Amino acid sequence: MSDTSTNNDTTAKTDDTTSTTAITTIEALHEYLGRAMQLEHATIPPYLTALYSLHPQTNSAANQVLRVVAVEEMLHLTSVANLMNAVGGQVDLTAPGFVPEFPTYLPDGEEDFQVNLACFSPATLETFLKIERPAAAPDEARRLMPARRRTDIMVTAPGDPELRYYSIGEFYAEIERGFNYLHDRHGDQLFSGDPTHQAGPEYYYSGGGELRRVVDIDSARSSIELIIGQGEGVGTGAFDAENELAHYYRFEQLKLGRYYQLGDEPHHPTGPDCEVDWSAVYPTQTNPRVGDLSGFPELQETAVSFNRFYADFLALLTKAFNGEPELLIEAVPKMFEIRNKATVLIRNPIPGSSATHSAADPTPDGPMHAAPTFEMESQ
Amino acid sequence: MSTPTHDVVVVGAGVAGAVMAKHLTDAGLRVLMLEAGPGTPQTLDGYEHHLNTFYEASAKGPESAWPTAPQVPQPDTADLRFNDGYFVQRGPQLYGSSYSRLQGGSTLHWLGVSLRMLPEDFDMGSRFGVGRDWPLRYDDLEPFYRKAELDLGVSADVADQQYHGITFADGYDFPMSRVPMSYADQWLADAVGDLEVPIGTESVPIQVRSYPAARNSMPRPGYGPVGALDRRGDGQVRPGLIGERCQGNTSCTPICPVQAKYNAGRTLAQIDPGHLEVRAQAVASKINVDPTDGMVTGITYQRYDGSSYVEEVAIGRRYVLAAHAVENAKIMLMSGLTGPNDMVGANLMDHPTLYAWGLAPEPVYPFRGPLSTAGVEDLRGGPFRSTHAAFRFDVANDGWRAPTGAPDTTVTGEVDQGHFGADLRRRLATTLTRQVRLSLAVEQLPDPANRISLDWRFLDPLGNPRPAINYRIDEYTLAGMVEAKRVAGAMFSRAGIEDRSDDDVQKWFPTIEHQGQVFSYHGMGHFAGTHMMGDDARTSVVDHSQRSWDHQNLYLIGSGSFPTMGTSNPTLTIAALAVRTAETLAAELGDLSAGRVGANVRSTDR
Repeated sequence: MSDTSTNNDTTAKTDDTTSTTAITTIEALHEYLGRAMQLEHATIPPYLTALYSLHPQTNSAANQVLRVVAVEEMLHLTSVANLMNAVGGQVDLTAPGFVPEFPTYLPDGEEDFQVNLACFSPATLETFLKIERPAAAPDEARRLMPARRRTDIMVTAPGDPELRYYSIGEFYAEIERGFNYLHDRHGDQLFSGDPTHQAGPEYYYSGGGELRRVVDIDSARSSIELIIGQGEGVGTGAFDAENELAHYYRFEQLKLGRYYQLGDEPHHPTGPDCEVDWSAVYPTQTNPRVGDLSGFPELQETAVSFNRFYADFLALLTKAFNGEPELLIEAVPKMFEIRNKATVLIRNPIPGSSATHSAADPTPDGPMHAAPTFEMESQ
Repeated sequence: MSTPTHDVVVVGAGVAGAVMAKHLTDAGLRVLMLEAGPGTPQTLDGYEHHLNTFYEASAKGPESAWPTAPQVPQPDTADLRFNDGYFVQRGPQLYGSSYSRLQGGSTLHWLGVSLRMLPEDFDMGSRFGVGRDWPLRYDDLEPFYRKAELDLGVSADVADQQYHGITFADGYDFPMSRVPMSYADQWLADAVGDLEVPIGTESVPIQVRSYPAARNSMPRPGYGPVGALDRRGDGQVRPGLIGERCQGNTSCTPICPVQAKYNAGRTLAQIDPGHLEVRAQAVASKINVDPTDGMVTGITYQRYDGSSYVEEVAIGRRYVLAAHAVENAKIMLMSGLTGPNDMVGANLMDHPTLYAWGLAPEPVYPFRGPLSTAGVEDLRGGPFRSTHAAFRFDVANDGWRAPTGAPDTTVTGEVDQGHFGADLRRRLATTLTRQVRLSLAVEQLPDPANRISLDWRFLDPLGNPRPAINYRIDEYTLAGMVEAKRVAGAMFSRAGIEDRSDDDVQKWFPTIEHQGQVFSYHGMGHFAGTHMMGDDARTSVVDHSQRSWDHQNLYLIGSGSFPTMGTSNPTLTIAALAVRTAETLAAELGDLSAGRVGANVRSTDR
């Protein structure tokens, strides 16, 4: 559908917003935003698993990078919840399938990788770079790609499972187009949600960027652009307007062993050394399952209890995003508890197991360690 | 006379110097800062090194995360065990406090309590006939308290803090809402209920109240909490993206793991490096004075590295001593500058503090949250101050750790009695969860006999004399201790708390006897009074701007300027006074640059 044929709005817009959009109804927008929440959340278990696999008091660079990126994904999740609430949608983090089964695909151009729950390692870092890599579609025609796989794909184009987006950035660009299109059609009626459901800036910290209440088209656009910018960077630069380094380049510092400083070109950091100790890591089981621990009742009970706690936590967030934002304060100590429970699993080797890594992989050999499985009972 | 290299030379990179430097540089002035101790890193990694030093230390005293250089010895809390530390203690009582000599100063390991002084604290002489009046009133300082609360990042609700005449500007509230009170605080508040204690001729209701703390909490609109800052090799300062909220790590003292608690390094990191030069390992040893007019011509300092040092002279248009109440006096005395009636070094004060601890009748779950989040402020003021000292309590969130070494000693104590296994666990679960502790900090009045002097028989590695302390706790304070103990006892008794305070446990604490009662006391780290301010050049060292009466281009700032100290911890007032002095100085130097004041500065107020 051509945007221009239905556009009665004379507001000046960028080229982007006058292009076609797949989002022509509010219901479609709700569906896209639902997928976006699923997507934002899906990166958190892998990032947390890698973060908590680091030996304590070591690897401060990796620790800082992983923690900040994970926290910013939580910002994105909350920002999308604000977007959803602003347009009168329903937020539900407890819906079946909301938490993916790992390994899982994320949408990127080549479908060349799956995301695992795995300890921090060079291979894990490569995956994280792929998740966050800057990827603008080469041209408008290839913004939507044929989906080669039908299963496990998290972001297909809603309404057409045969199509999927070239990158997460393109997916969000679609959502922004949808907002623009629907705002042209419905004006401020689009923002029919209850403003008291919005989570404000006071609830977000320990990461870059800012949590914004979404009440109109401007705040909707800036929230979306923050998500895109923090993940992949804006345009060709590594830093965003607030001089914050995008996730891709944060991870790249660990790979290249050097920090970026302001003014650096992408892929060419010139800051101080960024040291990584790949051996100071607990070698956790990749994509663990509760069922794998059947011979070890204590570990299994701990893994089950983690999952139960995590499910309760998602239920608490769901309540918070449905009109009780102050519950986000209660969520804070629960996030520490998630860390503590994950740590109990990760510090414990699975008796009788062994992990042997190739000579090229610096992850320590020895017994595999347990890890949270993030299996939700509803699945 | 040599040409100034900077507008202002500031001696000391603690909270007073940092806040001073921030406001001077904001006004466009160029500042040279001399820090006696080593520099502290302004990077996340550097801070982590101190964190690991703390984790690895076997004794977790206030100084454990912050070792200084051997060239600049500092007092240590544990010195009191054998009285063999930095201070030459001449008695009759031991002075119980310590401080740190490195960049960031004692705020590196402070608790973060940021109380304003009471209006009546400024008029002790005229209201109560004890101590003396300040040359300032509360209302003079109120605007600067607000600025200091912004600089330090203070969390509190005005609604909790309007007591004993404390007022706030219309519409003002603290930058962040109060740090939530702990479960133990709330339990104690409920358990104490509507308790009133008789004191003097009054009956005073006792309330467990949240106190203002320089620890990050939920911001009020328009304020962004400042957590860890990371100054990279390229000089750029970026948010460390950690510490924007207190996480309740229960180690405010000696080190906040996430930098949610203010330290002076945070202010230093926010200063434009183009306007501030910090020279660490530079010990100010002599103030050079022109004998004809008393003007300071330069400050000689020893710049050390390894076992050697060189002497250099810092020259500015103005000089500020911000080195600590003791060190300011020491530098003055080393330079032969004694002030009127030998007042430099005199009137040393502290808040001698007692512990009271007991077992609650039910679990209150200590060892969680910031070390403390509430206090009892009701006896900070009142007519009784004409006869005995005022006092305030901190309510602890760390059980009996401070007085007894719990939880470790609780475990060893039970094991020594033959308990082990499930029995031991059960006993610990019923004991540790019920530990309640109060700190009773008692006011002290200025007394010229309580003083810092120099003892040239005891020299530090750079050849500088160690400070000697004459210190006596007088009847006024002792009578306050008696009352503080009584009030704590009344609270325990109303709350059903079994009093387990036992002076034998604190064997190495200094003791003092009063009317048959023996008090084990310790210091609060609240030094004050060594260069007190006043209206009269014959009876004070500095004027209301903290400018030396005798040396018109010299300022002595910090709690040394306090004529009396009331019961609040001094940091917020130190910062408020520093802002006020910085504004005076900046205006004066601005006027000088514009040619409006010229040489008149030499003859003002004499």
